[in-house]
Amino acid sequence: MTIRGGATAASGEAIDADVRTTEGVLALVNLGAQIDGQERQAAARELDVSGQAEFIELVALRGHVLGCIADYEWAERLAEQLVSDSPSDGVAFLARARARATFHRFTDALTDLDKAKRLGADPAVVDVDRAAIFQALGRYDQALAIYSDAAERRADFGSLGALATLYAERGETAAAERCFDESRERYRGVSPFPLALLEFRRGVMWIMQGELQRARTWLAAAHRRLPGYAPAQGHLAEVEASLGETDSAIARLRPLTISSDDPDYAAQLARIMSEVRRVEEAVEWRARAAVRYEELIVRHLEAFADHAAEFWLEAGDDPQQALWLAQKNVEVRQTPRAYKLLERARVATGTATAV
Amino acid sequence: MSDHNSGPRALADPVVDITDLYAFPSPDRAGSLVLVLDVFPNAEPTALFSDAVDYRFRVRPVTISRGAGAAFAVSEREYTISCRFAELAARQGSGPLVQEGKCTASTGQAVSFRVNDERDGNADGLRIFAGRRMDPFFFDGVRAFKTMMTGQLAFVPVGESRQFRQNVLSIVVEVDIAATFGADAGWLFAVVGETATAGSITVRLERFGRPLIKSVVLAAKQFDTVNRDLDIRDLYNQEDAFKLGQTYLGAYRARMNANLPFWDGLDKKTDWPPDAHGNHPLTELLLADFMVVDASKPFSGNSYLEIERALLKGADHESCGGRTPNDDIADTFLTMLVNAGNGPRISDGVDGQAVPASRAFPYLAPPELNPPAKIELSLGNKAA
Repeated sequence: MTIRGGATAASGEAIDADVRTTEGVLALVNLGAQIDGQERQAAARELDVSGQAEFIELVALRGHVLGCIADYEWAERLAEQLVSDSPSDGVAFLARARARATFHRFTDALTDLDKAKRLGADPAVVDVDRAAIFQALGRYDQALAIYSDAAERRADFGSLGALATLYAERGETAAAERCFDESRERYRGVSPFPLALLEFRRGVMWIMQGELQRARTWLAAAHRRLPGYAPAQGHLAEVEASLGETDSAIARLRPLTISSDDPDYAAQLARIMSEVRRVEEAVEWRARAAVRYEELIVRHLEAFADHAAEFWLEAGDDPQQALWLAQKNVEVRQTPRAYKLLERARVATGTATAV
Repeated sequence: MSDHNSGPRALADPVVDITDLYAFPSPDRAGSLVLVLDVFPNAEPTALFSDAVDYRFRVRPVTISRGAGAAFAVSEREYTISCRFAELAARQGSGPLVQEGKCTASTGQAVSFRVNDERDGNADGLRIFAGRRMDPFFFDGVRAFKTMMTGQLAFVPVGESRQFRQNVLSIVVEVDIAATFGADAGWLFAVVGETATAGSITVRLERFGRPLIKSVVLAAKQFDTVNRDLDIRDLYNQEDAFKLGQTYLGAYRARMNANLPFWDGLDKKTDWPPDAHGNHPLTELLLADFMVVDASKPFSGNSYLEIERALLKGADHESCGGRTPNDDIADTFLTMLVNAGNGPRISDGVDGQAVPASRAFPYLAPPELNPPAKIELSLGNKAA
């Protein structure tokens, strides 16, 4: 079954066949090689601003793909240094805006984007980054205006992919599917990372819609394209657990608790173990997740408030803590998902307002 | 926290980034042509080729048509040397990563090899090495950029090359011409290097003919009154070098006709007067962006553009032309652009790589084990 032309319930084989990219393990090896090389140059402080910005982007990419918060933190430190070293270069502020947005410091990120534009960074690039933050804040109409304009000027992989993720978040699945397909068709490279990310986002959309088989199709595609892709693996486990495929979910999550420093995977294991009454293991995973969430909340409250709230509502079993975190999350971003999380926390603590 | 993200951005992918192409008669085996394609700039020890890319050389016989409008007449007949690589083989403990490859000629010959194995693949008229080598390129690119920004020649007697002691991934193929292309292939060839997707639908990702065309001739936008805001290089990369499409041909021509006079004027005199239509005399020659090499001539370390210069003069060429790794092509090209050879040699101040290429296969120097931090000069930060 061909994907081109907008087929939506594609087979795994069709997805793999239509856009061939560098084998995932090989691509990760090369990403590591690129980062090593640029780290060598960055350590000697001999990279120019664009080179350092590219280096930061590669580190952040690895952080996302491998679920490595340490990489995100490294990217943030590099971005801060870059701005300190190059305070009159818009590219530096653009890089820092992205690093700050990763940790959900959206107000600071928007300020950086304003500065980036004033200092001569490409306005089109700055606007797209601004749109991504608007999307994260729930300001969907503003994001849509920017993304639509970008796609109208140049309908390419990036602009259509951005539109797809926005439509997905708004629950407009038909529009999202169209844009996901068109984005794929316009991909003109062999790097697996952008496509795996697109496939992952498509899978997440279907999780949000409760269509678990469709979610599995796309998450599995992302995982096949990039076997080390932690978020895809983690969400696949979530789907499998929801479908009652507990053993498979557990088998997926265990290696992630070693390879990734994101507590989400330990939290998922705690929940699943609890559901299947493997109590001792549930307690152990809960403790691990709790320790790590507590660390991260201190350093990056805005970034982890939502996931930590989910944890404390479920396996963590501390609704009061969850409520506090959910409130903090809504202060940062006023999205439907944030409000739903707050409502769940209020219900759990018996503080929900009667309708 | 990973749920905040803009849409996926396409990032620069070094595995498809062609840094150089070389073509020269083998100094080692008579009747053989050496083709070198370099990719993945600043390649670290673990860098590998993509299994989704076709790394290829396109070779076509060429003849020289003389008289008014002298040009290279490229045959429709084409020989392709295609190199493909496998996924990573299973690692043996903490040993090096292993990647296998296969080189196939369009005429049917094929040879398998292992990446970084200097016991080269050798069969059927093809000899191949693929792996990490010291980047043979040398050029003071930063001062070339400064020249374009300031309008004055910015090179210094001792320049600096960003590629100094850096490494690349190289594909070196030595082709027995008669055995591989056939006895009627001739000896004068046009060569292009390409990276293309290896899937069911082939998309050209990059192409490379002559060095410095994209950086020195096409990059600057400020002189181009027709398409000042157009970044031409991505469009240019995807074209068929032997058959440029009509859609953007005018844009490439306009860019060259704007930028080539800039270089010509740097010595305050015009050595390349434009024709009645404002076309620079080198525009059509450089638009035919392929390397021309005569494999019947002996190997020469300093023959880049000799065939082209002879063509322009209406004379017979004397050398093999093409390009060898140690050839100071930057000086040759800059001199041609600035004074057409009617004045002193223009030098960028960089005369070679730290370790020159050898005359033994695989020719390129072994990789530098401890590459220095890449030299990045900001304009005006260091004394000229």
